[in-house]
Amino acid sequence: MQALAIHKPETVAQAIALHRAGESRYLAGGTDLVPNLRRNIQKAQSLIDITGLAELREIRAESQSLRIGAGVTLEALCGSDAVRAHAPLLAEAAALVAGPTHRVSATVGGNLMQDTRCYFYNQGDWWRTANEFCMKCEGDTCRVAPKSDRCYACYSGDLAPALLALGAEVDIAGPTGNRREPLAALFADDGMRHLKLAPGDLLVSVDVPAQAGWTAGYEKVRIRGAVDFPLAGIAVALKRDGDRIAALRVACTGVNSYPGLVPGLDALAGQKPDDAVFAALDKAVRKEIQPMASTLVAAGYRRRVAAGLTRRLVQRLYEAAA
Amino acid sequence: MKANRSGAGARRPLIDGVDKVTGKAQYTADLPAPNALVGRIFRSPYAHADIVAVDTAEAAALPGVVAIVTGQDCDKPYGILPISQNEFPLARERIRYRGEPVAAVAAVDAETAERALKLIRLKVAERPAYFAAADARREDAVLLHDNKRGNLEREVHNEFGDVAAGFARADLVREQTFRCAEVTHAHMEPHAALATYEPERGHLTLHSVTQVPYYVHLSLARCLDMDPSRIRVVKPFIGGGFGARTETLNFEIVCGLLARAARGTVRLDLTREETFLTHRGRPESDIRIRIGMTREGRLTACEMEMVMRGGAYGGYGIVTILYAGALLNGLYDLPAVKYDGYRVYTNTPPCGAMRGHGTVNARYAFDALMGEMATELGLDPIEVRRRNLLKAPTETINGLRVTSYGLPEALDWVERASGWRERYGKLPKGRGLGIACSHFVSGSAKPVHWSGEPHATVILKLDWDGGIVILTGASEIGQGSSTIMAQCVAEVLGVDWERIRVVASDSLVTPKDNGSYSSRVTYMVGNATIDAAENLKKLLVEAAARKLKTTTEDIECLGEAYRAASSGETLSFKETTVEALVGTGTLTVKGTFTCPEDFQGGKHRGGAVGSTMGFSYAATVVEVSVDEVTGLVTVERAWCALDCGYAINPLSVEGQIQGAVWMGLGQAICEETRYENGLHTAANFLDYRVPSIAESPPIEVGIVESLDPNGPFGAKEASEGPLSSLPAALAEAVRNATGLALRELPLTPERVAGALEERERERRAAARKSAKQPATEGAV
Repeated sequence: MQALAIHKPETVAQAIALHRAGESRYLAGGTDLVPNLRRNIQKAQSLIDITGLAELREIRAESQSLRIGAGVTLEALCGSDAVRAHAPLLAEAAALVAGPTHRVSATVGGNLMQDTRCYFYNQGDWWRTANEFCMKCEGDTCRVAPKSDRCYACYSGDLAPALLALGAEVDIAGPTGNRREPLAALFADDGMRHLKLAPGDLLVSVDVPAQAGWTAGYEKVRIRGAVDFPLAGIAVALKRDGDRIAALRVACTGVNSYPGLVPGLDALAGQKPDDAVFAALDKAVRKEIQPMASTLVAAGYRRRVAAGLTRRLVQRLYEAAA
Repeated sequence: MKANRSGAGARRPLIDGVDKVTGKAQYTADLPAPNALVGRIFRSPYAHADIVAVDTAEAAALPGVVAIVTGQDCDKPYGILPISQNEFPLARERIRYRGEPVAAVAAVDAETAERALKLIRLKVAERPAYFAAADARREDAVLLHDNKRGNLEREVHNEFGDVAAGFARADLVREQTFRCAEVTHAHMEPHAALATYEPERGHLTLHSVTQVPYYVHLSLARCLDMDPSRIRVVKPFIGGGFGARTETLNFEIVCGLLARAARGTVRLDLTREETFLTHRGRPESDIRIRIGMTREGRLTACEMEMVMRGGAYGGYGIVTILYAGALLNGLYDLPAVKYDGYRVYTNTPPCGAMRGHGTVNARYAFDALMGEMATELGLDPIEVRRRNLLKAPTETINGLRVTSYGLPEALDWVERASGWRERYGKLPKGRGLGIACSHFVSGSAKPVHWSGEPHATVILKLDWDGGIVILTGASEIGQGSSTIMAQCVAEVLGVDWERIRVVASDSLVTPKDNGSYSSRVTYMVGNATIDAAENLKKLLVEAAARKLKTTTEDIECLGEAYRAASSGETLSFKETTVEALVGTGTLTVKGTFTCPEDFQGGKHRGGAVGSTMGFSYAATVVEVSVDEVTGLVTVERAWCALDCGYAINPLSVEGQIQGAVWMGLGQAICEETRYENGLHTAANFLDYRVPSIAESPPIEVGIVESLDPNGPFGAKEASEGPLSSLPAALAEAVRNATGLALRELPLTPERVAGALEERERERRAAARKSAKQPATEGAV
């Protein structure tokens, strides 16, 4: 790992002012960035340590929403009474991230904006050299799909699907001003450029609207009960009205280059969850996801299990909402 | 015996445990060496190639680079087995796997060393490469080693008993194929070495992470062409071995070569990726097995074909392929066995010894098929095992001697503890129980380098201060060997625990020991330690008799005092020591242990492999639940009973068994080494999935003490035996839960879900077919 300059600003404005395009990176927990710097797959000349920004570490319940600072650690998120009361799904998803020692330092913002992953990419210098590199780093071919002109590295964050299912928005500060946008607008379907951020943009907080009447859950497929990234992750938020599904949102991770809401579920609202509804749900999920051979576990398995899990989770939440 | 608070049978925390948990222990990478140069290895990106040139000129010119070594600097091949030494510390002429060391650099700091690596130019002419055993065995395949036809390192063809008659007599004969993925040790501490060369005296000192300092010493002398008396090998604290370090590894010799070339000190710390590439794990195995059984469940014969993908070099390969066949016997009463083994050279990192050396995959196939056949015959799988027990003492058809045999009691224990009779076959859908048994040697009765020396030598030193120092070459690798030796001394001499210290594995001061492998230390070094302690006790009793003016027969050893029974007069331990030193000074006594020749195996070629003075015996029950959607197998509980002869330290035995269960589960459910065009795709702890503590089930341990007639206080090994039963017990539990016999390890969610889906498809197809049938008939 090469020598780096480290800055420690005290305010968001200072942090942004310190940022130099192409040279700087914001550093919070470092659980994603530091291994990548060590492996030389992400590069920086300077790191801007944002863990001292008080504004980023706040969790505040507001009248119609819950505001969570991007610098809140996953451990703090899991332990927060406000989160447990307003959006328990977030605590549930955060508790499934990596292992307890990661969660001590890993943050909400870092988890949301983590780099996409691929086993051709997340390797050391020698390995990537021996494999003649890949499109995402120093090469020009996607090793997952050699004929493709895009990169299929996979988005693997656990919080994003949960936040998408809850309809969260994000506050972003940047050199050209501040903005608020739906979380979904942050992501693009591109393994190399999956974040729609301008140089210097800094995620300040996420805003989770009040969840009256909704039940929600997150399920993550992985081989080990700790450490592993999701092979497929599904978050579901559901509203029940008598014996019908009143509203349904499904978001997934680990199956595309971005975390996404499954489109086309509005048609299921107002229906009884019978076989036809589940068949339609299954179809909608399979249409949205496109896992590729970016992990050692086969894409076909991830695809099938994502659909199976969605069905089970919807069923469970529907019953729990009775 | 169990009354002594630190002698045999005491639940003592490990003697070096406090240092480890407080962070005081110094591992190789922690050793202070302020002026050490930093070593780095240049590794081949090619799988199979002739070296045309290794151009190091540009790297050597980089300021701060002190030394560079290549294959030109060592022309002596090495290897653990004298009959298959075909590996060079740095490739010469030919490269045989991706990641093989080709050159190494010593520089003033890490950054310079890494920059230098990028300036080394390797020119090669590539050859066809083989990553699967079947490809390497093809008739037209290019040979990896010119003298090994068919790319076979060793073929084994053994038949004991009348196999044809055995199958003819059987009521049920079943044949199946099994496949086990390659796995590796995943020890916590990455490889590291620290070497100092003193040019003035021509002396070399190497600190390394080895389990076998003596073999490293031998290899250094050979490869550096040095007189062994000029070499010192030290093993500091090490973070696990599990077999990875039971042979000299390339980086150890490379570190020595670099230190000599740099005429100074070189530190060579390998990354986790490099540690994976150094490998020496358990080979991918393809197994075809056929078993014959009577209606009553008696085994009549077994035929096994075992193909191991051995990797690029010999290593322990011949021993591994022999072990797999030899240890088909010694567990059950098996009257006839035919074994055909093939150890294949491929362009992948070399395999080696790993906990349960050679037997684990063979045992998985055997016990899993045995369970399937029990079900087919409508017999209880525990009962079937009871019908095939040996009776000790006995000798197996392949010349293995069984002198103590606690398997019956181990079976009883797991049956009771797991509630087998009440629960087997009555669990809810998706939940199941499975059983398997296993065994392992307590030290190979014939060492790799047979020199006529005793199998183990231990020295005890007692000086004026009253401190007893155990000097041993046995490598403490976390398994507790130093603690066991101290307990042996405490038991024989009865002294205070604090009086005893252990100095281990420094060739300058400790006697030669073959090292920590084949679970030999407790048995062999333990016996040697007892012998040494008895010899010391004799001197102390003589001294006490002299001082108290009585006969040695009259002297009672009370541990911290010696007493004349006739007069009741006592001497303290200190006073006895002072008397013992009169006229002779510091006492050093020796103890040894030798395996008698009649334990050294059958007379057939390779018959020494598998021979031992005592086998441990394990029975394991595993309970699982299987998620029908994800295919995830959750191990709910495990019960393991082990006949370790006698538990010199029950706490340590329990730890070893729990560790074996955990490691066996890892191989059974999630660990897998994979290569893509020979490139290791899981050379890190994220993709190579060692179970986390979240996967560790509650493990109940039962200790069976069969009191081996030759073991130290009756003890046998306690670490490797239990592991081998895990994969079969787990696969059997999954079969019990799902009705599916899955014959490929590991049983990952992907494989299990795939098998469940396949069955569902078949059911649907069958249903469609039977739905169509009447319609057709109706039409007619």
